Amino acid sequence: MNARIGFVIAALILSGPAWAAPKGQLQIPEFAALADKADEVVTVTLDANLLGMAARFLSNEDPEQAKAKKLVSSLTGIYVRNYSFDSDYAYPKSDIEGVRRQLNAPGWSRIVGVVSKKENSNVEVFILADGNKAQGLAIIASEPREFTIVNIVGNIDLEQLHDLEGNFGVPNLGIEKSDNPAPGKPSTPIKPSAPAKPAAQEKTK
Amino acid sequence: MNENPANNLEDELRRRLRPVEAPEGFTDRLMAALPAQQKPVVVPFTPKASRPSPARQFGMPAALAASLLVAVFLGMQVASDRAHDEEIARLEEQKGIAASQELMQALRVTSQKLDLAYEAVNSPPTAGDEENRS
Repeated sequence: MNARIGFVIAALILSGPAWAAPKGQLQIPEFAALADKADEVVTVTLDANLLGMAARFLSNEDPEQAKAKKLVSSLTGIYVRNYSFDSDYAYPKSDIEGVRRQLNAPGWSRIVGVVSKKENSNVEVFILADGNKAQGLAIIASEPREFTIVNIVGNIDLEQLHDLEGNFGVPNLGIEKSDNPAPGKPSTPIKPSAPAKPAAQEKTK
Repeated sequence: MNENPANNLEDELRRRLRPVEAPEGFTDRLMAALPAQQKPVVVPFTPKASRPSPARQFGMPAALAASLLVAVFLGMQVASDRAHDEEIARLEEQKGIAASQELMQALRVTSQKLDLAYEAVNSPPTAGDEENRS
């Protein structure tokens, strides 16, 4: 009997993180210490409840808002941290590395990785794919005076994300169905459950 | 000859109870013997003067005052509930508008960064620019 109770407790403890954070949600630090140092701060934390509330106040008349409303209907969270500084590297890279490490987990795939040595900038786009649906999207962009972390959680319909092209300036990053890549576009088919590629595998031009 | 004693008794009773004329002057004597007619005495009825109980004396005003208080209290409560509901609706609206603005801002930041990645992936590398792309 005691063993059974112990087993149940152990199962609950082990499954805790699974229900505590939805699939695709990253543990993003608050970066509270950086808020004073930063010139400009954009912090967006929208969980499922707030997204639902926000969607109710998006207009169907405005095409941009209507598309956003459609996109967020299946999302469970949007988290953005964007800090701009007036001096180079005023932010600790270790915090960003902590987030990047979470993207090494199984299921996450890096679909774009750009490292510019000239501009000292680094932009990476990760996706947590499940068939044609993305369960999560992460963007880590770091520049000497700015860094941005974006985490979008939920059933991201890639075609809907495509529909945002020209609305928010979202470009076609080759987020295509693996069986129907668009011609003439940089296509990086999503491989479900593919592990994140290490930086060493990046193609150098 | 009737020998039945019951019949005898009946006859005797009839005989004794037969109507008899009053003797002459009986009526006058009787009337003279009666006392003169007097006016009936009127005894005034005076109800007991009792002091009303406090419950009866103040019951009605107290009930009215209580009703008034209850009405005022209920009115205040209804008004307070309505104001509270309106306040909640107003706060929710503010929160929703703020959330929708945050959402649009988040999507803009996302698109800016995706643009950056797109430009970096698609722009030809310039001389001296070492870019590592995938």
